[in-house]
Amino acid sequence: MTFAEVFAPIAPEVTLLIGVCAVFLIGVSKSAAVRAAVAPLTLLIMLGAMVATATCATTDAAGPVGLAFDELTVYIRWITLAIGLLLLLVNWHVPADGEQGEYFGLMLCSMAGVLLTASANDLVVLFFAIELVSVPTYAMVALSRTDQRASEAALKYFFLGALSAAIMVYGFSFLYGVGGTTTLFATGAVDSLETAFAEGGAINAYAVVGLLLAMSGLAFKVAVVPFHAYAPDVYEGAASPLTGLLGFLPKLAGFVALIRLLSVCQWDLPDSLMWMMWLMAAATMTVGNVLALLQTNVKRILAYSSVSHSGFMMIGLLVGPVLGEGPMHDGVAAVLFYIAVYGMMNLGAFAVLAMLQVRGEAAESLDDLAGLSQRAPVLALAMAVCAFSLMGFPPTAGFLGKVYIFSSAFSLAGDHPFHGPLVTLAVIGVINSAIGAAYYLKIAATCFVRQPREGLGRTEGSMPAFGLAVCSIAMIALFVRPTDLVDRAKNATVSVGQSSNTRVATVDQPHVPHVD
Amino acid sequence: MAEWILTLVILSPLAGVALLMLGGEDRQRLQMTALGMSLVTFALTIVAFVLFHNAIDENGQAGGYHLEKSVAWIGGDSGAEDAPDSASSDIDIRYHVGVDGVSIWLLLLTSFLTPLAVWGSFSGITKRIREYYAFMLLLEVGMLGVFCAMDLLLFYVCFEFTLIPLYFLIGIWGGPEKQKAANKFFIYTVAGSVLTFAGVLYLAYYAFTQIGTFTFDIQTLTSMGQSGAVPIDVQWWLFVAFAAGFAIKVPFFPVHTWLPLAHTEAPTAGSVLLAGVLLKLGTYGFFRLSLPMLPDASFTFAPFMATLAVIGISYAALAAWVQTDVKKLVAYSSVSHLGFCMLGLFSLKMAGVTGSVVYMVNHGLSTGALFLVIGMVYERYHTRDIHQIGGLARPMPWMAFFLVFFTLSSIGLPGLNGFVGEFLVLLGTATSNTETDALAAGPLGYAYAVPAAIGIILGAVYMLWMCQRVLFGPLREPANTPDTSAGLTRDLTLREKLILAPIGVVCVVMGVWPKPVLSTMEPAIAANVFNQVDMDSDQRVALDEADLSVVEAVTVRNSESEGHSL
Repeated sequence: MTFAEVFAPIAPEVTLLIGVCAVFLIGVSKSAAVRAAVAPLTLLIMLGAMVATATCATTDAAGPVGLAFDELTVYIRWITLAIGLLLLLVNWHVPADGEQGEYFGLMLCSMAGVLLTASANDLVVLFFAIELVSVPTYAMVALSRTDQRASEAALKYFFLGALSAAIMVYGFSFLYGVGGTTTLFATGAVDSLETAFAEGGAINAYAVVGLLLAMSGLAFKVAVVPFHAYAPDVYEGAASPLTGLLGFLPKLAGFVALIRLLSVCQWDLPDSLMWMMWLMAAATMTVGNVLALLQTNVKRILAYSSVSHSGFMMIGLLVGPVLGEGPMHDGVAAVLFYIAVYGMMNLGAFAVLAMLQVRGEAAESLDDLAGLSQRAPVLALAMAVCAFSLMGFPPTAGFLGKVYIFSSAFSLAGDHPFHGPLVTLAVIGVINSAIGAAYYLKIAATCFVRQPREGLGRTEGSMPAFGLAVCSIAMIALFVRPTDLVDRAKNATVSVGQSSNTRVATVDQPHVPHVD
Repeated sequence: MAEWILTLVILSPLAGVALLMLGGEDRQRLQMTALGMSLVTFALTIVAFVLFHNAIDENGQAGGYHLEKSVAWIGGDSGAEDAPDSASSDIDIRYHVGVDGVSIWLLLLTSFLTPLAVWGSFSGITKRIREYYAFMLLLEVGMLGVFCAMDLLLFYVCFEFTLIPLYFLIGIWGGPEKQKAANKFFIYTVAGSVLTFAGVLYLAYYAFTQIGTFTFDIQTLTSMGQSGAVPIDVQWWLFVAFAAGFAIKVPFFPVHTWLPLAHTEAPTAGSVLLAGVLLKLGTYGFFRLSLPMLPDASFTFAPFMATLAVIGISYAALAAWVQTDVKKLVAYSSVSHLGFCMLGLFSLKMAGVTGSVVYMVNHGLSTGALFLVIGMVYERYHTRDIHQIGGLARPMPWMAFFLVFFTLSSIGLPGLNGFVGEFLVLLGTATSNTETDALAAGPLGYAYAVPAAIGIILGAVYMLWMCQRVLFGPLREPANTPDTSAGLTRDLTLREKLILAPIGVVCVVMGVWPKPVLSTMEPAIAANVFNQVDMDSDQRVALDEADLSVVEAVTVRNSESEGHSL
C-alpha cells in the first residue's frame, strides 16, 4: 500500500492531529498577537477536517491496520466536527492568555479521539481512541479556570477515569482470551471477535465477564448509574463552556464504543447482560432525574440531567438496530439522532451560563438566572428553548428524540423475551420525562418569572453568542424538518445492524383498513 | 385556497407574534397589533367555516373531514391515499390538518374567544405587555392546532405546546401565589400527558404490526379501531394511557385539584382561555381518540368513568357552594360542568355524545364570559372575596345584567345555550341502556342520570346564591374602591360592554336555534363514534334525529314561554 492509500481514509483524523501540533507550537509564541490567532486557527483546522470528511469516500476503503470505515464512521465524524465547531465557539474565550495553545490543542485531540473511536476495528485501537478522548479532558478541566474547585474536579475526574480505563482494558483482555484475536470485524478467513462469538453459538461465561467489565468501563464515560458519581462534581468544577464539551464528546465516544461492542455480539446478548443493561437504564433515568430535582446549582442540575439522558439512550441500545426500518424502530439510529440533538441542547444551556456573570463571578446558581428575560430577553429565550428541548417538549428537537427512543422500545418482536420489559422501560422513561419536566421548568421559570437581581451582566466576547444561536435555532429547525438528520442517522446503522431476524417486529396479518 | 386555509388560520397568530416582536414598546401599538391579528385569525376562521360548508355541499360526506392539507413531515414522501399499501414508506408522520363538523365549531369558539380575551386585557395588564400578548397568541396557535390536527403526533405536539404559553401567562401575570399555581398546573398536566405520549407511540406501533406502517394518521387509526383489529387487552392499556393525560386536562374528578388554584391565580384572559378552550382539549381528546379508536375499552370503562363523572358533578358543586372567592367558585363549577361532558361522552349514545360536544362549546362561551365579568369586577375592587363585595347591582347595573345573564346561561336555563347540551346529555345517559333494533344497549342508565340531574339543581343553587350575594343586598365595597385609576368608570365601560355583548348574543342564538350547530355536528359524530356498529348509517341518523327533534321542540317552546319573563 502506498502512503496515500493508507492515509487517505483517515484524512480528517490526520488533519486534526497535524492541527494539534500546530496549535501547540503557536500557543507558546511570545507575541500576544500570534497567541490570539490560536482560536481562529483551530476553527480553520476543524473546517479543514470537515472538508477532508466530505472528500474522502471511505466506506469500503482499507486504511491502516486496526481501523475500518463504514457509514457509522462518517456519521460520527460529521456530528463530532459540526458540534465541535459549536463547542469551539462557545469555548472561544475560556483559556487564559498563554494557555490557548494547550486548551485548543487538547480540544482537537479529544475530537480526534472520537473520530478514531468511530473507525476502530481493534480492541487495542478502541482503547487508545477512547483514552485519547478522555485524557485531554482531564487537563482541560484544570485549565478551564483558575479556581481551586477546577483542580479538585480535574483530580477526581482523572482518578475515576483512570480506574474506569483499567476496568475496561481488563474486560478487553477477557474478550481477547475468548476470541484469540483483538480484531472486531473481519471479512474472509481472518479471525475476528465477531466470528468467534458467532461460532461458539452462545456467548460463554468468560465473554460475559469480559463484556460486563468492558461495559462498566464505558458506562463511566457515558455517566450511567452506578458509574455516574463523578459527573456533578466535575461539571460544577469545570468552566461552563467546557462542561458542554464534557457532556458530549466522552458520551459520544462511549456510545459509539458500546454500539461496536454490541454489534460484535450481533446484538444477541445473554439475558443476564440484557437485564443488567435494563437495570442500568432504569436506574440511570430515575437516579439522574430525582437527584437533579434536589439541586439549586444549574450546573449540577444539568450534570444530573446528563446522567438521565444517558439512561434514555440506553433504551435505544437495548433495542439495537433493526435493519432498514428507520429510527422509529431502530434503537441505534434513535440513539445517534438523540445524541446529536443532546449535544446541541446541552451545549446551548451551558453557553447561556457561560455568557453571564454575577458581580464578576461566573453565573451558576438558579438565583443567578432570576429575571434574565428582563435583562437579556434573547438569552432567556435561548435558555428556554434549550430547557424545553432537554425536557423533551414540543416544538423542539428534543421531543422528536424522545419520540424515536420510546417508539423504538416497542419494536422488538412481540415474542421476544425482552418485548415486555422494554415496554415497561419505555413507561419508566416517560414517567421520568415528567420528573425531568419539573427541574427544567424551574430553569425556564427562573429566567422568565422571577424578578431580576442586581449585578447580573454579560461576559465579554461575542463568539459564544454565535454558538448559542446555532444551538437554539437548530432545536426548532430540527423539529420542523428532522428528515435530513434522521435519514443520516438511519443510514449510519446499516453496517452495525447484523441482528438476527427474530428481533424484528413483523406485520402480523395483512389487514388493511382502508380510509374512505 | 381551500386546502391552505387551515394552515393560514393556525399560522396567523404567529404572524402576530412576529409583529409584536418587531416594533417598539408602545403600549397602544402592542395592544392594537394583538387585537388586530387575533381578529384576522377570527376572520380567517369564518372563511374556513364557509369553505367547509361549501365543501360539504359540493361532495356530500357531511361526516367526513374537509379542507385537508397533508405534507410529509418525517418518513414517507407518499400522501395519505397510498400510504397503508406502500412498503417503501414504513413511517408516516405528517403535517396533516383538516376539520369535520365537530372541530370546526371548536375552532370557531377558539378564535372567537381569543380576541375578546385580548381586548379584555387592555386595562388589566400593565407590565411586560409585549411578552403578554405574544404568549396569548402562541397559546392560540397551540389550541387551533389541536382542533385541526389529523395526525396523532401533531395533535400531541399542539396539545403539549399549549402548556408553555399558559404556564408563563399564569406564572408572570398571575396573582400572589402565581408560581405555585403555574408549577402545579404544568407538572400535573405533564405527568398525565407523558403517559398519553407512550400510548400514542404504542398505538402507532400497533398500527405497524397490523398494516405495516408506523402511522399516526388519525383516520387510519380510527378505522383500525372501528374494524375491531385491536384486541381488548391492548385497548384497555391504551385507554388508561390516554385517559391519564386527558382526564387531568378535563379536569376529571379526582384529578381536578390543579384547576381551582390555576384559575384563581391566572390573569383574567388566561382564565377565559383556560376554561373556555383548554379544558376542552381533554374532552376533545376523549371524543376524537379514545371513543373511536378504542371502542371496546370505552364501553368497558364507561360505567367507571360515568361514576366518577357523577361523583365529580356533585362533589365539585358542593365544593363550589362553600367558596368565598368568586373566581374559585366558577372554577369549581367548571369541574362540575365538565363532569356532564364526560357523562355524555360515555353514554355512548348519539344524543349523549352530541350533547357533550355541544356542551363543550356552550361551556366555553358562558364560563369564559363569567371569568371576564369577574375580572372586570376585580379590576375595580382588587378583591373577589364574596364577603367584601355586595350589592353591586345598584352602582353597576350593566355588570349585574351580564353576570346574571351568564349565570343563567351557565346553569342551563331553557332558552339559553347551556340548556341544549345539558338536556341532551341527560337524555343520552338516561336512555343509554335501552336496546333498540338499531343500536346496542349502552352502558349507562337512570342510575347515572338521576344523580347528575341533582347536580344541576346544586349548580343552580350555588350560582344564584353567588349572584345574590355579590349583586343584591346592602352595598359593600372595600375601602378606597372602586379603583378607576386605569381609566375605568364605575360601571362597565363601552369597551367592556362590547366584549361581553357578542358572547351574550351567541348564547341566545345557540339557545334558541341550536339546529345549525347540531346538524353539522351530528354526521361527524356518527362517523367518528358510531361507525363500528354494524348498521346502515342513514337508519341510525334517522333514529337519533328523532331524539334530537324532541329537544329542539322543547327548547323552542321554552324559549317562547320564557321570552317575556326575561
